[in-house]
Amino acid sequence: MNPILEHLKNKNLIWQANHTSQMACANSTGFRELDTHLQGGFPQSGVMDIDSPIGIGELRLLLPDLLTRQQNGDRLLVFIAPPMHINSEMLAEFGFELQRVLVLQAASSKQALWCAEQCLASGCCYGVVLWQQDIAVNQVKRLQLAADKGDALLTLLRQQKQVHMALPVSLALRLRALPQGLHIEVTKRKGGWPSAAFTVNMGDSWPELNSLPMADNILHFPARHYQTA
Amino acid sequence: MLWLYLHFPNLQLDALLSQAQGEEIAPLVILDQHSHNIVQLSAKAAATGITLNMGLGTAAALAQDLQVVPYVPRITEDKLHEIAEVLYLSTSDISFFAPQGLLLRIHNMLRLYGDLSSYWQVLKNQLAPLKLTYHYATGHSPLAANILAKKGWNTISDDLELLRRTIAQCQLSETDIAPKTQQQLMRVGVRNVQDLLRISFADMAKRFDISLVNYLGRLSGEFKHPIEFYHPPEVFKRYMELLFDVDNSQFLQGPLGHVLKVLEQFLKLRDRLTQSLIIQFYQRDHEHIEWTVGSQQGEYLASRWHALIAIKLEQLKLDSAVYAISLTTGKTQIRSPDKGDLFSAKKGSLSRLQLVSLLQAKLGEQAVVSPAINNDFRPEHAASYHSPAVAKELNHDMSPMLQAMRPSFLLSPPQPLREKVTVLYGPERLNTGWWDSRPVIRDYYIAHNEQGQWYWVFKGPDGDWHLHGVFS
Repeated sequence: MNPILEHLKNKNLIWQANHTSQMACANSTGFRELDTHLQGGFPQSGVMDIDSPIGIGELRLLLPDLLTRQQNGDRLLVFIAPPMHINSEMLAEFGFELQRVLVLQAASSKQALWCAEQCLASGCCYGVVLWQQDIAVNQVKRLQLAADKGDALLTLLRQQKQVHMALPVSLALRLRALPQGLHIEVTKRKGGWPSAAFTVNMGDSWPELNSLPMADNILHFPARHYQTA
Repeated sequence: MLWLYLHFPNLQLDALLSQAQGEEIAPLVILDQHSHNIVQLSAKAAATGITLNMGLGTAAALAQDLQVVPYVPRITEDKLHEIAEVLYLSTSDISFFAPQGLLLRIHNMLRLYGDLSSYWQVLKNQLAPLKLTYHYATGHSPLAANILAKKGWNTISDDLELLRRTIAQCQLSETDIAPKTQQQLMRVGVRNVQDLLRISFADMAKRFDISLVNYLGRLSGEFKHPIEFYHPPEVFKRYMELLFDVDNSQFLQGPLGHVLKVLEQFLKLRDRLTQSLIIQFYQRDHEHIEWTVGSQQGEYLASRWHALIAIKLEQLKLDSAVYAISLTTGKTQIRSPDKGDLFSAKKGSLSRLQLVSLLQAKLGEQAVVSPAINNDFRPEHAASYHSPAVAKELNHDMSPMLQAMRPSFLLSPPQPLREKVTVLYGPERLNTGWWDSRPVIRDYYIAHNEQGQWYWVFKGPDGDWHLHGVFS
């Protein structure tokens, strides 16, 4: 082999197509379309960056995966700096064991990042969901290292206002609302090719949260649709 | 019967100098505030010509940079307890001789250690790390050992003949006999203990008061000397005067580290853990600050406590300089071994409770919570946050009825609805809470707005619409 090439390869500066097999360990997300496009599902550990407005189903996209992980071990799930009060009824109804869920109300974004890093590196959390608007490249790198150390997955939920810089994350998704579910664009996937945008139908698991017209054979109660201002 | 007496003339000074750890410090003296005389002095102070019982004025004239610390009996007392705690590891019977001495009953320990010299070696090794000045002597009675040690005999022997001879040669001024009685004895020609012991007790009782007879009886070992022995304490409590006033909270880490090491030793020997430490910082011109540092799991390791305390120290604001700290353990519990699986490849180093303690130290206890469900139909009452320990019990002892289709986020309190939304599901009527002061009559609907966000809205009895939750 060319000595320069070999040198670069030893320094890990060249990406080779056969490295993609490293991504094999992935967990099913619970949504068929998403699994196909992510070749298996969300990464086992690392940082995941999700760009989404609040309230379109971004958390519901994560819940099946987080639930499977909780059932597979006895580790904790941590929510850091949620924008509103997390409803424990919803978590319990979905099947989460509430003793193993922590909510941290950080006073500043600096504190939130500190908590995220401690939780990830501790080894006793399988997942951390962090609501954080701005984050720098070096902070993501630190979190990534902590997540690998503690074998945990950090999900970063934020709404990006302008065109963003590429962050060194394992997976980045952009979500937009659709009547039947979510429109998803994979903006970055470590060790994979960018794929075309696709739609995830959430009607199967959340039939009530689906604004597609109902089938004809359903008999409506007379006052079914309300319009309000 | 064989007794060993340890006399510590410089306890307060030694306590201060042990913090210096070989650093150069100015000549240091301890001053009795009543007589204004110097009662303890460091080697450097002695080098300048200062002697014991010298007045403060003379001493200050001899050394310009003299550092003067008032004598506090409590420090000596604490230090004496600390020494007793260390010696208890090798000796079962220890008694305090106020204010500066310890008496050890050693004849019953000799069977364990073989002979006197090897036993003394063990004791010396235990005292060495404390860096103390001390005088020692054995005696055939507690008082004999006391007199010889205070005299600075510094000899360990079990030869009773030698002990009796040495004590007989002691001057009256070296004993604890009251000065008035000493003068009376001198007048009748009694100069040392030997002369005194020649007189029979019956004759002595006729001319002198009974306390002298008792004293001599105890000295010669003919009378019984009642002694109360030391029992090691259950709770760790340490008060430490700092060598310098500290006004930067980061510099408190050093002295705290010292105390935590001692705490670790204390707990390790008892095989116990503690869940909380109470730390007090005594400030020069303000009220002292009291802290409780908690660890959910219970720890004994100094390094773990140090990490928790370091986080809290970042938030400490001192009003004025700190001159002393004290550390007390809360409840202690027996340590039970971790029952971790040896083969599950566990990464990371913290346990769940350790993580919670760490986060609580940083954010405060109210910011680290676990979601819990109360048995109530009103959504804002059903879903609540509790501290992890409480939530565990709450969730454990009941299985509330769960409602389908609840949003992931709740707004508290509900906000008036100000957007145009399309209702897609509902109504679900709640009419409850009439038994307390917060009744609820609402029709809940699921709706979505034009941006595709899913809302949980309700209509009150007077027809106004509110946003109560978001399906995230």
